[in-house]
Amino acid sequence: MSSPEGSTTAETTAARCLLCSVGCPVRALRVGPDQYVPDYVPHAGYVGLCGRGSVLVEWLDHPDRLRQARRSGDGGRTLAVKDAARRMAEALRVAGSAVIVADGNLDVDTLAAVGRFARDVGARWTACVTPGDAGLVHGLDGSRAKLVGPEALAEADAMLLVGDVFAAQPVASHWIYAARDAHPRIPRLVIAGANTATAKFATAQFEPVLVDGAAAAALAAVRTGSAEGLPAEARGLAGWKEQLAAGQHPAIVVTAEGGYGEARALAEAVAALAAETGAMVCPLTAYGNAWGAMRVAAAEGGACPAEILKPGADVVLAIGCDLVSAYGAAVAGPLLDGAGDVIYVGPMPNRTSDRASLVIPAAFAFEAPGRALLGPDRLVEFGPLMQPPAGVPTVTEILALAGAPTGAPAGAIAGASTDVSAPCRAPEMPPSAAGRAGDGKGLVVALASDPVHFGDGSLTSRAAWPRAVRPRPVLALAESDAEAAGLTDGHVAVVEGPGGSAEVEVAIRPDQRAGQGWVTGAFAGVRDAFGWSWDGARPGEPVRMEVRKA
Amino acid sequence: MPVKATAAQVDRRVVLDLDRCIECKSCMAACFYGHGEMAGVQFVDIGPAVLPVVCRQCGDPACVEVCPAEAMTRDDRGVVARGLFSCHGCGSCVRACPFGVLSLEMTGHQVTKCDLCDDRLERGLEPRCVAVCPTKALRFATVDEVEVQGLTVLGGRIAGDHPIRRR
Repeated sequence: MSSPEGSTTAETTAARCLLCSVGCPVRALRVGPDQYVPDYVPHAGYVGLCGRGSVLVEWLDHPDRLRQARRSGDGGRTLAVKDAARRMAEALRVAGSAVIVADGNLDVDTLAAVGRFARDVGARWTACVTPGDAGLVHGLDGSRAKLVGPEALAEADAMLLVGDVFAAQPVASHWIYAARDAHPRIPRLVIAGANTATAKFATAQFEPVLVDGAAAAALAAVRTGSAEGLPAEARGLAGWKEQLAAGQHPAIVVTAEGGYGEARALAEAVAALAAETGAMVCPLTAYGNAWGAMRVAAAEGGACPAEILKPGADVVLAIGCDLVSAYGAAVAGPLLDGAGDVIYVGPMPNRTSDRASLVIPAAFAFEAPGRALLGPDRLVEFGPLMQPPAGVPTVTEILALAGAPTGAPAGAIAGASTDVSAPCRAPEMPPSAAGRAGDGKGLVVALASDPVHFGDGSLTSRAAWPRAVRPRPVLALAESDAEAAGLTDGHVAVVEGPGGSAEVEVAIRPDQRAGQGWVTGAFAGVRDAFGWSWDGARPGEPVRMEVRKA
Repeated sequence: MPVKATAAQVDRRVVLDLDRCIECKSCMAACFYGHGEMAGVQFVDIGPAVLPVVCRQCGDPACVEVCPAEAMTRDDRGVVARGLFSCHGCGSCVRACPFGVLSLEMTGHQVTKCDLCDDRLERGLEPRCVAVCPTKALRFATVDEVEVQGLTVLGGRIAGDHPIRRR
């Protein structure tokens, strides 16, 4: 296809959206001197882009982009990227204790370069994906389950969906509905929140209680036929194992929600059920390259975030990720406050770059060619969506600049091709000591999947469409809970959790289980309110919150 | 004297297959970015679901009737169109529309309005909202084409196996 202006990112471009593991191809169309819009031409068997994917194109020429290296103090003095990279390396090398956290959606070779760079400068490092993604990968990687991509779901003739798949990975619905078109009476069990769009697709549905291991227990009930210890309606889960096993191409689709431990237990339960039913398993992650990030971290000496994100580091380097939003202020705050130097390398400002003493601009991962591992056997090569702005280097180029002065040849840090074929089940997070929400006052509140925002919202909160359509977080709760708090639909309420309070918009869902709620997680205030810590409820886990009128 | 265009000329419309919509709002984003950051697709919360609503290309459109600036007109294709430069952003049409498909873009003082992506139709492509819909809940079709697929059509715009609930 050619545009009237003749300047699309071209047919030869095979850029991929990594804002979930479906990994849709994406192209941009130039409509003005500095303006690009998504090019909605289905290709390569895909259907286009979801709302989140559309936002990618907006970032190409976003006015907030970081374009110059800058030091804090001296009025925010700018410096050349080359000098900034050298300062970064020097700070890391002389530090008694240095840590590096790299965004999991960097391509696999860049992540491997980060691992090698960390070794070179004597720093510990980790890859940042959602805790749910990490648990899902570790629970399924190396299992005997037949792991497939979403395209394979079109063949399914019996289906179990776990989690709010349609919100977390909207385009996966394309193949799920194709299966239903081919088999209109296909049995569809959904284990997810009752108020979700995914639940409406079900022929049978079960909403787990938000307590430790409940979703995994529901899977176990499907496998064993015994719903002992589960709510009464879980009795309907019995018999589903047989329905799945009766299919010629049964499928289990699972997306990770919540914390690491829950997701890992869920993934192991999925693998066990798949083994007994012969079902293929389609694991879907929030980070497109979560599988690649976890495998590279395992291969290149990466550590668990629980080890890295603790106070005590002299220097913290964040590459492309917002530590404060991703892990919550209660986890990242003490680490950043205690560090002598905080260095940020990335394309857009965020709450971590705001606290950095040195900021170095870097290209988005989709502005350079690279490779991503969308699933265990789904290694894709992608081309750049567009060139980064003039003078803005890639992360690999910055690492090479930083590594060269001390004698480490640039090629040893950047440019090598990384083997990501080996399954990994580490670096795993140690078991949670405090359990999850426990007993107490208030509702158990969990993060809801959102088709509008990506991850912690630090990127999408700067984009026009997500800001227009979801300007504030929404709390979905049961009618009885809303009545008890004196709230009605559309009210602004305050949720108060262990880490503080945040304003939310109330959405009453008649089918919702009472005593628990789901809140949009892509807002800084909401994430801070969860008050995650390594000793209590860990990042991504539900907590108890009190809900009251604003 | 040219013959005045009518709604009957708009043979294909954006039809929503109710029970395929997963509320992902991909259609809205595509419309938003394709129309200078003004979405002609709106979402309404009807309780059991949140659904996209798109201009129905009414036979006797109230929005055209009330527009004081004659910005809302039926163009020569029969499509109800909003003139970008003549729209004052007064919001009269937004209040007049019985289906809630129009909205006022406050900062630009413009009313957002579906134009069926005429720039794409000229190139033989479907409207953006239809092109990106992952489940094919939105279709660019005639009522006959939808009914041939065994679906019930309500008001010419909403279709499904069962028109008021999902399968």
